[in-house]
Amino acid sequence: MEIPVIETKKLDFSYSQTGGKTLDNVNLQVLPGSIYGFLGPNGAGKTTTLRLLLGLLKNQSGSILLFGRELSHHRVDILKRLGSLIEQPSLYLHLTAKENLEIYRLIYKCEKSRIAEVLEIVGLENTGRKKAKQFSLGMKQRLSIAIALLHKPDLLILDEPTNGLDPNGIIETRELIKKLNKAYHTTILVSSHILSEVEKMATHVGIIHKGRLLFQGAMQELQQMKTHKAVLEVETNNPESAMSLLSAQFEGQLADGKLLLPYKDRMQVAVINRLLVENGIDVYALHTKQSDLEQLFIDITSNDQ
Amino acid sequence: MTFLIAARTELIKTRRSSAFWLSVLGAAFMPVIFFLMYTLKPKSFIPALAEDPWTGHFLRGWQSLAPFLLPMFVILSCSLITQIEYKNNTWKQVFASPQSIGAIFFSKFLAIHIMILFCFLLFNFFMIISALAVNVINKGYSFTHHAIDWLTLVKWSFKTYVSVLGICALQYWLSLRFKNFIVPIAIGLALLIASLALLQWEHIYKIPYAAPILTFMSIRNKSGELLQNHEWNAIGYFVCFTALAFLDLLNRKERG
Repeated sequence: MEIPVIETKKLDFSYSQTGGKTLDNVNLQVLPGSIYGFLGPNGAGKTTTLRLLLGLLKNQSGSILLFGRELSHHRVDILKRLGSLIEQPSLYLHLTAKENLEIYRLIYKCEKSRIAEVLEIVGLENTGRKKAKQFSLGMKQRLSIAIALLHKPDLLILDEPTNGLDPNGIIETRELIKKLNKAYHTTILVSSHILSEVEKMATHVGIIHKGRLLFQGAMQELQQMKTHKAVLEVETNNPESAMSLLSAQFEGQLADGKLLLPYKDRMQVAVINRLLVENGIDVYALHTKQSDLEQLFIDITSNDQ
Repeated sequence: MTFLIAARTELIKTRRSSAFWLSVLGAAFMPVIFFLMYTLKPKSFIPALAEDPWTGHFLRGWQSLAPFLLPMFVILSCSLITQIEYKNNTWKQVFASPQSIGAIFFSKFLAIHIMILFCFLLFNFFMIISALAVNVINKGYSFTHHAIDWLTLVKWSFKTYVSVLGICALQYWLSLRFKNFIVPIAIGLALLIASLALLQWEHIYKIPYAAPILTFMSIRNKSGELLQNHEWNAIGYFVCFTALAFLDLLNRKERG
Protein backbone atom coordinates (compact mmCIF):
# COMPACT_ATOMS: atom_id res chain seq x y z
CA MET A 1 0.00 0.00 0.00
CA GLU A 2 1.23 3.49 -0.85
CA ILE A 3 2.37 5.64 2.04
CA PRO A 4 0.14 8.74 2.16
CA VAL A 5 1.97 12.00 1.54
CA ILE A 6 -0.15 13.57 4.26
CA GLU A 7 -1.71 11.64 7.10
CA THR A 8 -3.25 13.07 10.21
CA LYS A 9 -4.49 10.88 13.01
CA LYS A 10 -7.12 12.03 15.48
CA LEU A 11 -6.17 15.66 14.97
CA ASP A 12 -7.85 17.96 17.49
CA PHE A 13 -7.31 21.68 17.87
CA SER A 14 -8.91 24.56 19.74
CA TYR A 15 -7.79 28.18 19.85
CA SER A 16 -8.93 28.70 23.42
CA GLN A 17 -9.31 26.29 26.30
CA THR A 18 -12.86 27.42 27.04
CA GLY A 19 -14.09 27.64 23.44
CA GLY A 20 -15.23 24.74 21.28
CA LYS A 21 -13.02 22.58 19.13
CA THR A 22 -11.88 24.11 15.84
CA LEU A 23 -10.79 20.66 14.66
CA ASP A 24 -12.34 17.48 15.96
CA ASN A 25 -10.78 14.09 15.22
CA VAL A 26 -9.60 14.94 11.69
CA ASN A 27 -8.06 11.94 9.92
CA LEU A 28 -6.76 13.29 6.64
CA GLN A 29 -5.19 11.02 4.03
CA VAL A 30 -3.65 12.44 0.88
CA LEU A 31 -2.22 9.89 -1.52
CA PRO A 32 0.87 10.45 -3.70
CA GLY A 33 0.14 11.98 -7.10
CA SER A 34 -3.36 13.12 -6.20
CA ILE A 35 -5.02 16.50 -6.31
CA TYR A 36 -6.84 16.55 -3.02
CA GLY A 37 -9.66 19.09 -2.88
CA PHE A 38 -10.15 20.17 0.72
CA LEU A 39 -13.69 21.50 0.77
CA GLY A 40 -15.60 23.36 3.38
CA PRO A 41 -17.41 26.61 4.08
CA ASN A 42 -15.57 29.55 5.62
CA GLY A 43 -14.71 28.85 9.25
CA ALA A 44 -14.92 25.07 8.81
CA GLY A 45 -11.30 24.54 9.88
CA LYS A 46 -9.53 24.30 6.51
CA THR A 47 -6.90 26.96 7.15
CA THR A 48 -6.34 25.72 10.70
CA THR A 49 -5.67 22.22 9.33
CA LEU A 50 -3.26 23.55 6.70
CA ARG A 51 -1.45 25.75 9.24
CA LEU A 52 -1.02 22.69 11.45
CA LEU A 53 0.39 20.74 8.49
CA LEU A 54 2.98 23.47 7.95
CA GLY A 55 3.91 23.74 11.62
CA LEU A 56 2.57 27.31 11.85
CA LEU A 57 0.32 26.18 14.69
CA LYS A 58 1.50 24.02 17.55
CA ASN A 59 -0.14 20.62 17.44
CA GLN A 60 -2.25 19.95 20.54
CA SER A 61 -3.47 16.41 20.11
CA GLY A 62 -3.17 13.70 17.48
CA SER A 63 -0.33 13.16 15.05
CA ILE A 64 0.71 14.72 11.75
CA LEU A 65 2.75 12.64 9.32
CA LEU A 66 4.12 14.04 6.07
CA PHE A 67 5.95 11.69 3.71
CA GLY A 68 5.50 9.10 6.47
CA ARG A 69 7.47 11.11 9.04
CA GLU A 70 6.33 12.98 12.14
CA LEU A 71 6.22 16.71 11.46
CA SER A 72 7.19 17.65 15.01
CA HIS A 73 10.43 15.65 14.78
CA HIS A 74 11.47 16.31 11.17
CA ARG A 75 10.11 19.82 10.53
CA VAL A 76 12.99 21.21 8.43
CA ASP A 77 13.49 18.01 6.35
CA ILE A 78 9.76 17.84 5.59
CA LEU A 79 9.50 21.53 4.70
CA LYS A 80 12.33 21.08 2.17
CA ARG A 81 10.01 18.84 0.13
CA LEU A 82 6.97 21.05 0.41
CA GLY A 83 5.73 24.27 -1.19
CA SER A 84 2.91 26.32 0.24
CA LEU A 85 0.59 29.25 -0.27
CA ILE A 86 -1.52 30.06 2.76
CA GLU A 87 -4.38 32.55 2.48
CA GLN A 88 -3.27 35.86 0.93
CA PRO A 89 -0.03 36.11 -1.08
CA SER A 90 3.10 36.45 1.07
CA LEU A 91 5.38 38.76 -0.88
CA TYR A 92 7.87 41.51 -0.16
CA LEU A 93 6.01 44.27 -1.94
CA HIS A 94 9.00 46.64 -2.14
CA LEU A 95 10.99 44.02 -4.09
CA THR A 96 10.73 42.79 -7.68
CA ALA A 97 9.51 39.31 -8.65
CA LYS A 98 13.10 38.15 -9.14
CA GLU A 99 14.22 39.56 -5.78
CA ASN A 100 11.31 37.83 -4.05
CA LEU A 101 12.29 34.57 -5.70
CA GLU A 102 16.00 35.12 -4.92
CA ILE A 103 15.22 35.12 -1.18
CA TYR A 104 13.61 31.68 -1.37
CA ARG A 105 16.10 30.38 -3.93
CA LEU A 106 18.83 30.92 -1.34
CA ILE A 107 16.79 29.26 1.40
CA TYR A 108 15.88 26.24 -0.75
CA LYS A 109 19.39 26.15 -2.24
CA CYS A 110 18.17 25.94 -5.86
CA GLU A 111 20.02 26.72 -9.06
CA LYS A 112 19.84 30.33 -10.26
CA SER A 113 18.21 29.16 -13.49
CA ARG A 114 15.13 28.04 -11.52
CA ILE A 115 14.04 31.66 -11.12
CA ALA A 116 13.56 32.11 -14.88
CA GLU A 117 11.97 28.66 -15.12
CA VAL A 118 9.29 29.23 -12.47
CA LEU A 119 8.58 32.73 -13.77
CA GLU A 120 7.90 31.18 -17.14
CA ILE A 121 5.70 28.45 -15.65
CA VAL A 122 3.46 31.09 -14.01
CA GLY A 123 3.71 33.52 -16.93
CA LEU A 124 5.53 36.35 -15.15
CA GLU A 125 8.75 36.36 -17.14
CA ASN A 126 8.31 39.94 -18.38
CA THR A 127 7.79 41.87 -15.14
CA GLY A 128 11.35 43.29 -15.16
CA ARG A 129 11.99 45.92 -12.48
CA LYS A 130 8.32 46.25 -11.59
CA LYS A 131 7.86 45.92 -7.84
CA ALA A 132 5.42 43.39 -6.42
CA LYS A 133 3.24 46.18 -4.99
CA GLN A 134 2.46 47.22 -8.57
CA PHE A 135 1.21 43.72 -9.45
CA SER A 136 -2.47 42.84 -9.79
CA LEU A 137 -3.85 40.33 -7.29
CA GLY A 138 -3.70 37.61 -9.94
CA MET A 139 -0.02 38.35 -10.61
CA LYS A 140 0.74 38.34 -6.88
CA GLN A 141 -0.98 34.99 -6.54
CA ARG A 142 1.00 33.59 -9.47
CA LEU A 143 4.26 34.88 -8.01
CA SER A 144 3.38 33.19 -4.71
CA ILE A 145 2.82 29.95 -6.61
CA ALA A 146 6.19 30.48 -8.35
CA ILE A 147 7.85 30.72 -4.92
CA ALA A 148 6.12 27.51 -3.86
CA LEU A 149 7.41 25.77 -7.02
CA LEU A 150 11.04 26.96 -6.85
CA HIS A 151 12.49 23.81 -5.31
CA LYS A 152 10.33 21.39 -7.33
CA PRO A 153 8.39 20.26 -4.26
CA ASP A 154 6.85 16.80 -3.97
CA LEU A 155 3.86 18.33 -2.22
CA LEU A 156 2.08 21.63 -2.75
CA ILE A 157 -0.29 22.99 -0.13
CA LEU A 158 -2.49 25.74 -1.54
CA ASP A 159 -5.04 27.49 0.62
CA GLU A 160 -7.83 29.01 -1.48
CA PRO A 161 -5.49 29.88 -4.35
CA THR A 162 -8.29 31.31 -6.49
CA ASN A 163 -9.64 33.63 -3.81
CA GLY A 164 -10.20 37.13 -5.12
CA LEU A 165 -9.18 36.26 -8.68
CA ASP A 166 -11.21 37.21 -11.74
CA PRO A 167 -12.72 34.36 -13.86
CA ASN A 168 -9.69 34.34 -16.13
CA GLY A 169 -7.32 34.14 -13.18
CA ILE A 170 -9.36 31.29 -11.70
CA ILE A 171 -9.12 29.29 -14.94
CA GLU A 172 -5.38 29.96 -15.26
CA THR A 173 -4.69 28.87 -11.68
CA ARG A 174 -6.79 25.74 -12.10
CA GLU A 175 -4.99 24.82 -15.32
CA LEU A 176 -1.64 25.44 -13.66
CA ILE A 177 -2.53 23.12 -10.78
CA LYS A 178 -3.58 20.38 -13.21
CA LYS A 179 -0.44 20.91 -15.29
CA LEU A 180 1.87 20.63 -12.27
CA ASN A 181 0.18 17.46 -11.15
CA LYS A 182 0.35 15.89 -14.59
CA ALA A 183 3.80 17.04 -15.69
CA TYR A 184 5.71 16.74 -12.42
CA HIS A 185 3.50 14.30 -10.46
CA THR A 186 3.30 16.85 -7.68
CA THR A 187 0.83 15.91 -4.99
CA ILE A 188 -1.42 18.91 -4.42
CA LEU A 189 -3.64 19.69 -1.48
CA VAL A 190 -5.89 22.57 -2.45
CA SER A 191 -8.50 24.03 -0.17
CA SER A 192 -11.56 25.84 -1.41
CA HIS A 193 -15.07 26.79 -0.44
CA ILE A 194 -16.09 26.85 -4.10
CA LEU A 195 -17.42 23.39 -4.76
CA SER A 196 -17.51 23.54 -8.53
CA GLU A 197 -13.84 24.59 -8.54
CA VAL A 198 -12.75 21.45 -6.70
CA GLU A 199 -14.95 19.29 -8.88
CA LYS A 200 -13.11 20.57 -11.95
CA MET A 201 -9.61 19.65 -10.83
CA ALA A 202 -9.51 17.28 -7.86
CA THR A 203 -8.94 13.54 -8.01
CA HIS A 204 -9.79 13.16 -4.33
CA VAL A 205 -11.99 15.12 -1.98
CA GLY A 206 -12.23 15.78 1.73
CA ILE A 207 -15.22 17.68 3.06
CA ILE A 208 -14.81 19.43 6.39
CA HIS A 209 -17.57 21.12 8.33
CA LYS A 210 -17.41 22.58 11.83
CA GLY A 211 -14.01 20.99 12.34
CA ARG A 212 -15.09 17.48 11.40
CA LEU A 213 -14.13 15.60 8.27
CA LEU A 214 -17.49 14.45 6.90
CA PHE A 215 -16.39 12.79 3.69
CA GLN A 216 -13.09 11.65 2.28
CA GLY A 217 -12.47 9.64 -0.84
CA ALA A 218 -11.93 9.58 -4.58
CA MET A 219 -13.87 12.00 -6.77
CA GLN A 220 -15.65 9.03 -8.41
CA GLU A 221 -17.11 8.01 -5.04
CA LEU A 222 -18.56 11.45 -4.73
CA GLN A 223 -19.90 11.31 -8.29
CA GLN A 224 -21.57 7.98 -7.49
CA MET A 225 -23.21 9.52 -4.47
CA LYS A 226 -24.40 12.24 -6.81
CA THR A 227 -26.03 9.71 -9.15
CA HIS A 228 -27.68 7.91 -6.27
CA LYS A 229 -29.19 11.14 -5.16
CA ALA A 230 -30.62 12.01 -8.61
CA VAL A 231 -34.40 12.54 -8.84
CA LEU A 232 -36.98 12.48 -11.59
CA GLU A 233 -39.09 15.61 -11.70
CA VAL A 234 -42.59 15.27 -13.22
CA GLU A 235 -44.92 18.14 -14.06
CA THR A 236 -48.57 17.27 -14.77
CA ASN A 237 -52.01 18.90 -14.96
CA ASN A 238 -53.07 16.97 -11.83
CA PRO A 239 -50.20 16.29 -9.43
CA GLU A 240 -52.36 14.75 -6.66
CA SER A 241 -53.93 12.15 -8.97
CA ALA A 242 -50.54 11.43 -10.52
CA MET A 243 -49.08 10.95 -7.04
CA SER A 244 -51.75 8.50 -5.95
CA LEU A 245 -51.41 6.64 -9.23
CA LEU A 246 -47.64 6.26 -8.96
CA SER A 247 -47.38 5.71 -5.21
CA ALA A 248 -48.16 2.00 -5.63
CA GLN A 249 -44.93 1.46 -7.56
CA PHE A 250 -42.66 4.37 -6.63
CA GLU A 251 -41.70 6.21 -3.51
CA GLY A 252 -42.17 9.83 -4.31
CA GLN A 253 -43.19 13.16 -2.91
CA LEU A 254 -44.93 16.34 -3.96
CA ALA A 255 -43.09 19.62 -3.91
CA ASP A 256 -44.29 22.93 -5.42
CA GLY A 257 -46.90 21.07 -7.50
CA LYS A 258 -44.26 18.75 -8.94
CA LEU A 259 -43.69 15.08 -8.35
CA LEU A 260 -40.23 14.09 -7.23
CA LEU A 261 -39.31 10.41 -7.66
CA PRO A 262 -35.99 8.67 -7.09
CA TYR A 263 -34.31 8.18 -10.47
CA LYS A 264 -33.19 4.65 -11.37
CA ASP A 265 -32.82 4.38 -15.14
CA ARG A 266 -34.24 5.58 -18.50
CA MET A 267 -36.80 2.73 -18.70
CA GLN A 268 -38.37 3.93 -15.48
CA VAL A 269 -39.03 7.32 -17.13
CA ALA A 270 -40.86 5.66 -20.06
CA VAL A 271 -42.96 3.52 -17.68
CA ILE A 272 -44.03 6.52 -15.63
CA ASN A 273 -44.89 8.55 -18.71
CA ARG A 274 -47.01 5.73 -20.20
CA LEU A 275 -48.85 5.14 -16.92
CA LEU A 276 -49.77 8.78 -16.57
CA VAL A 277 -50.88 9.24 -20.18
CA GLU A 278 -52.92 6.01 -20.20
CA ASN A 279 -54.76 7.24 -17.11
CA GLY A 280 -55.69 10.55 -18.71
CA ILE A 281 -53.14 12.75 -16.95
CA ASP A 282 -51.40 15.33 -19.15
CA VAL A 283 -47.59 15.32 -18.80
CA TYR A 284 -46.01 18.76 -19.27
CA ALA A 285 -42.41 17.93 -18.38
CA LEU A 286 -40.37 14.91 -17.35
CA HIS A 287 -36.71 15.34 -16.55
CA THR A 288 -34.00 14.03 -14.31
CA LYS A 289 -32.48 16.42 -11.83
CA GLN A 290 -28.95 15.41 -10.82
CA SER A 291 -27.89 16.46 -7.41
CA ASP A 292 -24.83 18.63 -8.01
CA LEU A 293 -21.92 18.80 -5.64
CA GLU A 294 -23.47 21.84 -4.05
CA GLN A 295 -26.62 19.91 -3.17
CA LEU A 296 -24.55 16.97 -2.04
CA PHE A 297 -22.51 19.17 0.21
CA ILE A 298 -25.66 20.62 1.75
CA ASP A 299 -27.03 17.08 2.20
CA ILE A 300 -23.87 15.88 3.93
CA THR A 301 -23.52 18.91 6.12
CA SER A 302 -27.20 19.03 7.05
CA ASN A 303 -27.02 15.38 8.10
CA ASP A 304 -24.31 16.43 10.49
CA GLN A 305 -26.40 19.07 12.23
CA MET B 1 25.88 27.78 6.67
CA THR B 2 22.07 27.85 6.93
CA PHE B 3 22.35 30.82 9.26
CA LEU B 4 24.59 32.71 6.82
CA ILE B 5 22.11 32.05 3.99
CA ALA B 6 19.28 33.26 6.21
CA ALA B 7 21.29 36.39 7.04
CA ARG B 8 21.83 37.03 3.32
CA THR B 9 18.10 36.77 2.66
CA GLU B 10 17.45 39.24 5.47
CA LEU B 11 19.75 41.76 3.82
CA ILE B 12 17.95 41.34 0.49
CA LYS B 13 14.67 42.11 2.30
CA THR B 14 16.04 45.44 3.57
CA ARG B 15 16.81 46.67 0.01
CA ARG B 16 14.93 49.91 -0.65
CA SER B 17 13.05 49.37 2.64
CA SER B 18 12.20 52.16 5.11
CA ALA B 19 14.81 50.67 7.50
CA PHE B 20 17.52 51.14 4.89
CA TRP B 21 16.56 54.75 4.17
CA LEU B 22 16.29 55.47 7.89
CA SER B 23 19.94 54.38 8.28
CA VAL B 24 21.12 56.55 5.41
CA LEU B 25 19.10 59.64 6.32
CA GLY B 26 19.69 59.15 10.07
CA ALA B 27 23.43 59.02 9.47
CA ALA B 28 23.41 62.06 7.18
CA PHE B 29 21.12 64.28 9.27
CA MET B 30 23.57 65.69 11.84
CA PRO B 31 26.58 65.97 9.48
CA VAL B 32 24.40 68.13 7.20
CA ILE B 33 23.36 70.29 10.17
CA PHE B 34 27.04 70.68 11.18
CA PHE B 35 27.97 71.59 7.62
CA LEU B 36 25.33 74.35 7.63
CA MET B 37 26.30 75.56 11.13
CA TYR B 38 30.05 75.70 10.35
CA THR B 39 29.43 77.38 6.99
CA LEU B 40 26.96 79.95 8.27
CA LYS B 41 28.66 80.76 11.59
CA PRO B 42 32.42 80.54 10.97
CA LYS B 43 33.21 83.21 13.58
CA SER B 44 31.92 81.00 16.36
CA PHE B 45 33.23 77.66 15.13
CA ILE B 46 36.68 78.43 13.67
CA PRO B 47 38.10 79.39 17.09
CA ALA B 48 36.20 76.58 18.85
CA LEU B 49 37.65 73.99 16.45
CA ALA B 50 41.11 75.52 16.11
CA GLU B 51 43.18 73.31 18.39
CA ASP B 52 41.97 69.75 17.81
CA PRO B 53 39.31 70.11 15.09
CA TRP B 54 38.53 66.42 14.48
CA THR B 55 38.06 65.54 18.16
CA GLY B 56 35.88 68.61 18.67
CA HIS B 57 33.88 67.83 15.54
CA PHE B 58 33.26 64.19 16.47
CA LEU B 59 32.45 65.04 20.11
CA ARG B 60 29.80 67.45 18.83
CA GLY B 61 28.54 64.71 16.53
CA TRP B 62 28.15 62.05 19.21
CA GLN B 63 26.74 64.62 21.61
CA SER B 64 23.97 65.38 19.16
CA LEU B 65 23.17 61.68 18.67
CA ALA B 66 23.68 59.95 22.01
CA PRO B 67 20.87 61.22 24.25
CA PHE B 68 17.88 60.87 21.94
CA LEU B 69 18.50 60.40 18.21
CA LEU B 70 20.59 57.23 18.50
CA PRO B 71 18.26 55.32 20.89
CA MET B 72 15.33 56.46 18.76
CA PHE B 73 17.08 55.19 15.63
CA VAL B 74 17.60 51.78 17.29
CA ILE B 75 13.95 51.68 18.40
CA LEU B 76 12.75 52.50 14.89
CA SER B 77 15.19 50.12 13.15
CA CYS B 78 14.06 47.16 15.27
CA SER B 79 10.43 47.93 14.48
CA LEU B 80 10.92 48.65 10.79
CA ILE B 81 12.93 45.49 10.11
CA THR B 82 10.43 43.20 11.83
CA GLN B 83 7.57 45.15 10.25
CA ILE B 84 8.84 44.06 6.81
CA GLU B 85 7.36 40.64 7.66
CA TYR B 86 4.21 41.88 9.38
CA LYS B 87 3.39 44.49 6.75
CA ASN B 88 3.85 42.07 3.85
CA ASN B 89 2.11 39.20 5.61
CA THR B 90 5.23 37.09 5.09
CA TRP B 91 5.89 35.60 8.52
CA LYS B 92 3.89 32.50 7.57
CA GLN B 93 6.00 31.94 4.46
CA VAL B 94 9.20 32.41 6.48
CA PHE B 95 8.12 29.93 9.17
CA ALA B 96 6.88 27.46 6.52
CA SER B 97 10.30 27.48 4.84
CA PRO B 98 12.95 24.90 5.78
CA GLN B 99 14.83 27.02 8.31
CA SER B 100 15.28 26.40 12.00
CA ILE B 101 13.56 28.84 14.35
CA GLY B 102 17.03 29.82 15.55
CA ALA B 103 18.18 30.73 12.03
CA ILE B 104 15.04 32.82 11.48
CA PHE B 105 15.36 34.62 14.82
CA PHE B 106 19.09 35.31 14.81
CA SER B 107 19.40 36.18 11.12
CA LYS B 108 16.84 38.96 11.50
CA PHE B 109 18.56 40.15 14.66
CA LEU B 110 21.86 40.16 12.78
CA ALA B 111 20.27 42.24 9.99
CA ILE B 112 19.25 44.83 12.61
CA HIS B 113 22.81 44.98 13.95
CA ILE B 114 24.25 45.25 10.46
CA MET B 115 21.87 48.15 9.83
CA ILE B 116 23.02 49.86 13.06
CA LEU B 117 26.70 49.34 12.21
CA PHE B 118 26.03 50.54 8.65
CA CYS B 119 24.51 53.70 10.11
CA PHE B 120 27.58 54.18 12.39
CA LEU B 121 29.89 53.75 9.42
CA LEU B 122 27.90 56.19 7.31
CA PHE B 123 27.68 58.68 10.19
CA ASN B 124 31.48 58.74 10.61
CA PHE B 125 31.93 58.97 6.86
CA PHE B 126 29.44 61.85 6.50
CA MET B 127 31.02 63.63 9.49
CA ILE B 128 34.41 63.50 7.75
CA ILE B 129 32.94 64.58 4.41
CA SER B 130 31.00 67.47 5.98
CA ALA B 131 34.14 68.75 7.74
CA LEU B 132 36.25 68.50 4.59
CA ALA B 133 33.52 70.20 2.53
CA VAL B 134 33.37 73.07 5.04
CA ASN B 135 37.15 73.39 4.81
CA VAL B 136 36.94 73.68 1.02
CA ILE B 137 34.38 76.49 1.31
CA ASN B 138 36.11 78.27 4.19
CA LYS B 139 39.89 78.02 4.41
CA GLY B 140 39.78 79.38 7.96
CA TYR B 141 39.02 75.88 9.30
CA SER B 142 41.99 73.60 9.94
CA PHE B 143 40.54 70.12 9.33
CA THR B 144 42.85 69.54 6.37
CA HIS B 145 45.90 70.39 8.50
CA HIS B 146 45.18 67.78 11.16
CA ALA B 147 45.11 64.00 10.97
CA ILE B 148 42.07 62.00 12.06
CA ASP B 149 42.67 59.88 15.17
CA TRP B 150 41.22 56.69 13.68
CA LEU B 151 41.82 54.60 16.79
CA THR B 152 39.80 56.98 18.96
CA LEU B 153 37.09 57.10 16.33
CA VAL B 154 36.83 53.30 16.30
CA LYS B 155 36.90 53.20 20.12
CA TRP B 156 34.07 55.74 20.42
CA SER B 157 32.01 53.97 17.80
CA PHE B 158 32.57 50.63 19.53
CA LYS B 159 31.59 51.99 22.96
CA THR B 160 28.50 53.66 21.53
CA TYR B 161 27.52 50.42 19.74
CA VAL B 162 27.88 48.46 23.00
CA SER B 163 25.74 51.07 24.77
CA VAL B 164 22.74 50.39 22.50
CA LEU B 165 22.89 46.57 22.77
CA GLY B 166 20.44 46.36 25.69
CA ILE B 167 17.93 48.66 24.00
CA CYS B 168 18.29 46.72 20.77
CA ALA B 169 17.54 43.31 22.32
CA LEU B 170 14.52 44.57 24.27
CA GLN B 171 13.12 46.46 21.27
CA TYR B 172 13.62 43.42 19.02
CA TRP B 173 11.65 41.30 21.46
CA LEU B 174 8.86 43.88 21.62
CA SER B 175 8.81 44.25 17.84
CA LEU B 176 8.48 40.47 17.40
CA ARG B 177 5.78 40.32 20.07
CA PHE B 178 3.50 43.09 18.78
CA LYS B 179 2.12 43.16 15.29
CA ASN B 180 1.09 46.77 15.74
CA PHE B 181 4.01 48.98 14.78
CA ILE B 182 3.08 51.68 17.29
CA VAL B 183 3.29 49.53 20.45
CA PRO B 184 7.06 48.81 20.54
CA ILE B 185 7.84 52.39 19.46
CA ALA B 186 5.58 53.86 22.14
CA ILE B 187 7.07 51.61 24.85
CA GLY B 188 10.61 52.44 23.70
CA LEU B 189 9.93 56.15 23.55
CA ALA B 190 8.34 56.16 27.03
CA LEU B 191 11.29 54.26 28.51
CA LEU B 192 13.76 56.57 26.77
CA ILE B 193 12.08 59.74 28.06
CA ALA B 194 11.82 58.26 31.56
CA SER B 195 15.55 57.42 31.47
CA LEU B 196 16.48 60.94 30.42
CA ALA B 197 14.31 62.37 33.19
CA LEU B 198 16.06 60.13 35.72
CA LEU B 199 19.57 60.98 34.55
CA GLN B 200 20.62 62.28 37.98
CA TRP B 201 19.49 59.09 39.74
CA GLU B 202 22.32 57.12 41.34
CA HIS B 203 21.16 53.85 39.77
CA ILE B 204 20.73 55.29 36.29
CA TYR B 205 23.61 53.12 34.98
CA LYS B 206 21.29 50.12 35.43
CA ILE B 207 18.75 51.49 32.93
CA PRO B 208 19.53 50.34 29.36
CA TYR B 209 17.92 53.37 27.68
CA ALA B 210 20.31 55.74 29.49
CA ALA B 211 23.42 53.84 28.38
CA PRO B 212 24.11 55.83 25.15
CA ILE B 213 24.17 59.20 26.93
CA LEU B 214 26.27 57.74 29.77
CA THR B 215 28.69 56.46 27.14
CA PHE B 216 28.90 59.90 25.58
CA MET B 217 29.61 61.39 29.03
CA SER B 218 32.40 58.88 29.61
CA ILE B 219 33.88 59.70 26.17
CA ARG B 220 33.76 63.43 26.89
CA ASN B 221 35.28 62.94 30.36
CA LYS B 222 37.96 60.67 28.86
CA SER B 223 37.25 57.92 31.40
CA GLY B 224 40.05 55.40 31.43
CA GLU B 225 38.54 51.92 31.02
CA LEU B 226 37.29 50.76 27.64
CA LEU B 227 33.95 49.58 29.03
CA GLN B 228 32.16 51.24 31.95
CA ASN B 229 29.62 49.70 34.33
CA HIS B 230 26.62 50.84 32.27
CA GLU B 231 28.18 49.29 29.14
CA TRP B 232 28.72 45.95 30.89
CA ASN B 233 25.10 46.20 32.02
CA ALA B 234 24.07 46.84 28.40
CA ILE B 235 25.86 43.60 27.41
CA GLY B 236 24.10 41.78 30.27
CA TYR B 237 20.69 43.10 29.19
CA PHE B 238 21.51 42.16 25.61
CA VAL B 239 22.19 38.52 26.52
CA CYS B 240 19.21 38.34 28.85
CA PHE B 241 16.60 39.93 26.55
CA THR B 242 17.88 38.05 23.49
CA ALA B 243 17.50 34.73 25.33
CA LEU B 244 14.01 35.65 26.56
CA ALA B 245 12.91 36.80 23.09
CA PHE B 246 14.17 33.58 21.52
CA LEU B 247 12.49 31.36 24.11
CA ASP B 248 9.30 33.34 23.67
CA LEU B 249 9.34 32.76 19.90
CA LEU B 250 10.26 29.10 20.32
CA ASN B 251 7.33 28.42 22.63
CA ARG B 252 4.75 30.46 20.76
CA LYS B 253 1.55 28.54 20.03
CA GLU B 254 1.02 30.30 16.74
CA ARG B 255 3.72 31.52 14.37
CA GLY B 256 3.23 33.46 11.18
